[in-house]
Amino acid sequence: MSIRALWVVSHEKGESGKVRFSRRFPTVEFRAKSLAGTQYVAIPEDRVIPQLLLTELGLVDADKPYVEVRDDCARQHRSPAVELRFNGPGGRTLWPVLTVTQGPLILACLPLVEAPPGPRPPLPSLASVSQGLALLSGLQDFLCGPGGKPEPDVQASRLAALPSVLLQVCPLGRPLDTPPPAGLVPAAVAPSPGGAQKQPAWKAGVHRGRAVVSVALTEKVRSMQYGKSSQQDIWDVYGMVMCKCEVEGVLPNVTVTLTLPPNGSPLQDILVHPCVTSLDASILTACSVDENDGSAFSGPYKFPFSPPLELFRLCSYTSQVPVPPILGSYQLKAEENHLKVNVVLKLHESVKNSFEYCEAHIPFFNQNLMGNVEVKVSSGQLEVSKEKNLLVWVLGQKFPKSREATLEGTVYFSGTVAGPTDPLCTGLTAYIKLYFRVPDLTLSGCSVDQHSVQVYSSAKPRIVTTRELVSSEYYIWNSTGDAPVSSGLMVL
Amino acid sequence: MTIADPWDQRISAFLLSPSEFLATTTSESFLAEVLHELRNDKANDQLKVLLVSVLLEHPTILCPSSSVGEETAVELLSVFSNVPQKSIVLKCNIMLAITNVIICTSCLATHTKTAEDWLDLLFQTIQDTNDFRCGLSQQALRATACDCLREMETCNPGLLSQKLEALYLLKQQETTVLHQSYCMLYALGLKNAVRILAKQKDVTDLEFKSILGGNEGFAWKNSQLGLTSLPINMMVQVPCLPPGLDCKELKSIMSSLLDESYLLTPISQSALLRELVEVVAMVPGLSPTLFKSQLLRLFGTADVSLMHATLFMKDTFTDSLFTAEDENFLLKRLVGTAQHPLLRISEKLFYMECILHFPENRPISSSGEESLPVLVTPRLAASLHPTVFNDSATMLCRLNLLCLVHLEADEGEADKGIDYLFDHIMALLKIVDNDGSREVVVTSFRGLYIFLTHFNGVEQLSEKLIDRLCDMYSRHSRLAPNLIGLADRIQENLDDPVWSVKLLRGLQKSIMEMPPLQLTIHNLSWHLKILKRVAKEGQITQKNTIYLLLNVLINSNLCERGNWQVGNAVLAVCRNLLEHPSIDQMFIELADLLQYISVHYDDTDIKDHARFYYTLLTNLSWEKLTGLLVKGLDGGRAKERSHSAIIAESEGIASNLTVHKTNRHVLQLIKVHEKASQNSSENSESSQTMAEAENWLEVYQSQFQTPGFGSEVTLRYNLTHVKESDPLFDKVFTICLHFELKDSNYAKVSDIHVPCVFKDRKPPEVKVKLKPFQPYPTTLCISAIFTTQDGRSWHSRLPDVGVSFPEIFLPVPLPLNTSCESKEQVFDHIWEAAASGNPDKSAISLFCFKTGDESLATLIERHFQGYLITDHPTERLWKVLFFLPPMCHVLLKITQAEDAVQVSVATDNWELLPFVNSYLQNITDQRSTTVTDG
Repeated sequence: MSIRALWVVSHEKGESGKVRFSRRFPTVEFRAKSLAGTQYVAIPEDRVIPQLLLTELGLVDADKPYVEVRDDCARQHRSPAVELRFNGPGGRTLWPVLTVTQGPLILACLPLVEAPPGPRPPLPSLASVSQGLALLSGLQDFLCGPGGKPEPDVQASRLAALPSVLLQVCPLGRPLDTPPPAGLVPAAVAPSPGGAQKQPAWKAGVHRGRAVVSVALTEKVRSMQYGKSSQQDIWDVYGMVMCKCEVEGVLPNVTVTLTLPPNGSPLQDILVHPCVTSLDASILTACSVDENDGSAFSGPYKFPFSPPLELFRLCSYTSQVPVPPILGSYQLKAEENHLKVNVVLKLHESVKNSFEYCEAHIPFFNQNLMGNVEVKVSSGQLEVSKEKNLLVWVLGQKFPKSREATLEGTVYFSGTVAGPTDPLCTGLTAYIKLYFRVPDLTLSGCSVDQHSVQVYSSAKPRIVTTRELVSSEYYIWNSTGDAPVSSGLMVL
Repeated sequence: MTIADPWDQRISAFLLSPSEFLATTTSESFLAEVLHELRNDKANDQLKVLLVSVLLEHPTILCPSSSVGEETAVELLSVFSNVPQKSIVLKCNIMLAITNVIICTSCLATHTKTAEDWLDLLFQTIQDTNDFRCGLSQQALRATACDCLREMETCNPGLLSQKLEALYLLKQQETTVLHQSYCMLYALGLKNAVRILAKQKDVTDLEFKSILGGNEGFAWKNSQLGLTSLPINMMVQVPCLPPGLDCKELKSIMSSLLDESYLLTPISQSALLRELVEVVAMVPGLSPTLFKSQLLRLFGTADVSLMHATLFMKDTFTDSLFTAEDENFLLKRLVGTAQHPLLRISEKLFYMECILHFPENRPISSSGEESLPVLVTPRLAASLHPTVFNDSATMLCRLNLLCLVHLEADEGEADKGIDYLFDHIMALLKIVDNDGSREVVVTSFRGLYIFLTHFNGVEQLSEKLIDRLCDMYSRHSRLAPNLIGLADRIQENLDDPVWSVKLLRGLQKSIMEMPPLQLTIHNLSWHLKILKRVAKEGQITQKNTIYLLLNVLINSNLCERGNWQVGNAVLAVCRNLLEHPSIDQMFIELADLLQYISVHYDDTDIKDHARFYYTLLTNLSWEKLTGLLVKGLDGGRAKERSHSAIIAESEGIASNLTVHKTNRHVLQLIKVHEKASQNSSENSESSQTMAEAENWLEVYQSQFQTPGFGSEVTLRYNLTHVKESDPLFDKVFTICLHFELKDSNYAKVSDIHVPCVFKDRKPPEVKVKLKPFQPYPTTLCISAIFTTQDGRSWHSRLPDVGVSFPEIFLPVPLPLNTSCESKEQVFDHIWEAAASGNPDKSAISLFCFKTGDESLATLIERHFQGYLITDHPTERLWKVLFFLPPMCHVLLKITQAEDAVQVSVATDNWELLPFVNSYLQNITDQRSTTVTDG
């Protein structure tokens, strides 16, 4: 259960990769050598690592259409682990190298293969693999933070802190913990008081100060709407409960309960944070890949746990809701150098008509840039993007009373400059993407009642609960064109 | 920090490439330097942590033998004991370094005294729980010590097997965050102790009990278990204790470990669970149901390492812990997590791998190959169907999984599923057809490969694919290499190569049918690649190919243009045609084609080869012909290798055409040491006699009117092999040395060509001419391109060459026969000018030193011989002038006073003073010195 080496490689477009950080674990290497015997392959020097990694990830020689070592169709890039090959074809390989790519950064580690020499064992039979994955995920959060794109100097200082982070979480190649996520270091922490109660290893100290428990429930809704009988519309919802518990004590007990309205469809695929102490079997039974029966458990969902100091995701779920919040139709008609556009958006009656924002983006690909736009909207405002390739329909905070908004008119592509291209959206294949956020709403109806949050502690904490619905991957396809299939579910 | 910076650079250079770094120094001296600096009280902790990192990462490079390892460990130990209490991070790093050195240089395995002492010290450290007196910061030290011990126990299983009681107590006492470290250490010790016992033949209750109550020394003798201790899922036979032992105590220990597992970080929890699973698997008296209380929590976990540990449990205990219902449930969870929108891509890919290697209670086969669990039905896996919205890896992974699902499915269901997958492939190809990016193209061909390896037998679909691919090729000839690659791989990996032949035949046909306009030069090169590949297929008739080639050559201006590459590509097709089994049927056509090329193609080389092929074709039987051509592939010696199509395009030819890179040094430049007196100026012949000139200074200065006068320094080097070079490079030819400068103080150095360097011959001398803009020390980065005997070209770096300050000194550039008086006149003039501040950058300085054993005269003779202007030993006064191109002077007046030697320094460029100072300091060695700036 160890890793042999760890790298952080940066790669900017058009440049060769650069090792930004690396760490080798010689005692693990010592074991690797002894386990693999004559099949042992030593790790090459850092100088050559970037090229090997980038070749495997298809990131070298961007200007060449085909490079055999990079593009061979029999090389199966369908695993979290790749192999690094050196000394040309037929040469030795280093396997399994786990990689995570975020922007220009590539994180990679090489887990120890604890298996007798011989044919390559299946990845799931190696304990080090999931530990390596967890370590890389932790490093990714540490280096890139919640936003994912830190400033270069911030990232440089985080890279510079890696040696001391690894001293704690992986001193000799055996992951002990994941690095603390950047920017989530809690404020008021006192050292553990000592005493009979053992301090959890995932909690550096105890909270001091006012007791506050915040529980935020966010639901995201995805949808693909086609507006034709041959292709069924699909939509689904997934939710997560983020918690931040500033509560005194070494192992304070907190219970958060999620409830559904009567007749609500059960929460599925529930995943919980490791700090949840116990689970009722019925909570886990509903599964999205299963056929639903009406008798499934539908709450209340109780999650007893002892919180870590930082913000964490207590649980997540998916849910099947009967209707999409906004039902849209999109119709394009092509005529010479212009397109007739017709869009109708209907807000479902069960959804609160109070948005923080609601926008429909209508991009045009593989066309010249837009010239004249003669389009009317029944509600909200229409904007033409600076780049002249996108219409933005700002619906604002509310749909009109009728809960229906329309956009109609003609877009002329009179310019001579070619707009952006997209290999998917050719001909009349086109989409609208919706962006919206509705505070204090969930589609599944799931909620966390403030009074249902129980905290067993001496001081009465302030309890804050919020919920919101946010769109994610919400597409409405032009019904007069072909639209790509987006799920196998609707076919079978 | 000024001291730290070079260390920064050196250490990062070492870590980036130890071999390159050690090409210029030895590991021995580098290690000595590192250890020396570690003992330097003035160096700060940050620097020392950096220094230790080289031992943390590459202990075996710096300590190549166990004796060096032991010495180094002893050194580090003494450094460790002298580090102040508060330098926790440094202490922890040294601890890790010592552990690394001791394990990696086999000091532990061979049970050396140092290893023993180190183990004792580590154990004392973890027992010293009274560290509150020094504040919490000391905790890090104990945590590190625990991890060091855990690593030592891993590498030498059983080492702690007689200390379990002590470890148990320590674990129980610890209530701080450190209890995780103790807990993990104890669990590992326990597992190894049980395993050693399980290997014994007869185990009594007493022996069994004694492992838990052990409180003795380290068990060195157990090391025979060695590193072979694999996790139990990798063992053919799991060692087992005999049944019937009293397991009450062990059971309660296990339960308490499990109860507290919740307090561990998820990663450590998963490691602990695995250790405990192994213990239970080895002790028949313990029931797997021990884990039952943890199962629900684990089933629901979002953590990948905990989920993985649960699957390990499932694999180990199968139906003794997991009911059929559990199995079904777990599999459904896996399918759900494999597409969960909130998990990371790498985790989801891993879960898909877990589905393909799912540990079933009743597996049908156990080959270790990918196989689908019986319970995964098309309906269950429906949500894992690939779509064009997936990222590449997810799409390919899903495609592979779903291919397996539909391959196993019942007929009606399978057809629907296969149709879906086929439509998906078609959707991908549509994107490719619409000018998808390179990534999309590559991914689509990988998808095609996966689909075909499963369903090439479904004729109707695989034929449709061929039609589609050929249709696409007629629009996008750039896909040629992808299509050839696909045909090759499918042919290699499927028993039935018919599909590839069909594809190639289709491609040949679509090239034939292309309107002539589409056969542009650019597209033609792709088509020729395809036709070359098609010509390899004995089952495909080739007449059309020949007609096409002839047609193109006759009806275009290709022959007039005489492009060698195009001609060569045409010949490459012909070459494969020569080997074709049906050559008899196209004999005349091919002969016509070759003859046409040999007459009309406007390139002599192509003509020659065409004629050669023609001769081969018309004079040799097919058997002889193929035999000859096959031989060509092996290449043979360099002389026979040529870059033309007589040999098919192959690895050999590619390697002949490319410049190979070697990362090791092959050659180096070694300075030729010359006596100072020889260093006479090259300008000596420039002017004859100026003896009578009035003002020597004027004469002197007027020389600089001549462009380029005195602006060069010539350095002489021998070009030799580095000590340990590959025999391949013993004889190298046509060497081109290329120089890069690290700074902009010098003009670009032109390349130097050397005919050859043989290892056993006298090295050739190389003269490097440097033109300084500023006469500062510098470093030359040198690379070489050369050819080896086998005809291959290589690129290699040479070790950097440093040019030191005194190497740029030239004697005053005056004619050889200038009298001493005249020289002195020039000296005095420059001195006076400098003293009066003319030019602006002039400066005067003073340097003193005490003469030691070596007399002043010897020192002067050794270092200043060629630069002496006057030599008045009686007056104890010497005048020395260094000329530095392009036009700088450093003048020294050396006088011997009572107790010290005074060196007055004058220069017309004060920026040179620091270099002068360190130069003087250097040659006068460590004598006490003082400097006063004037």
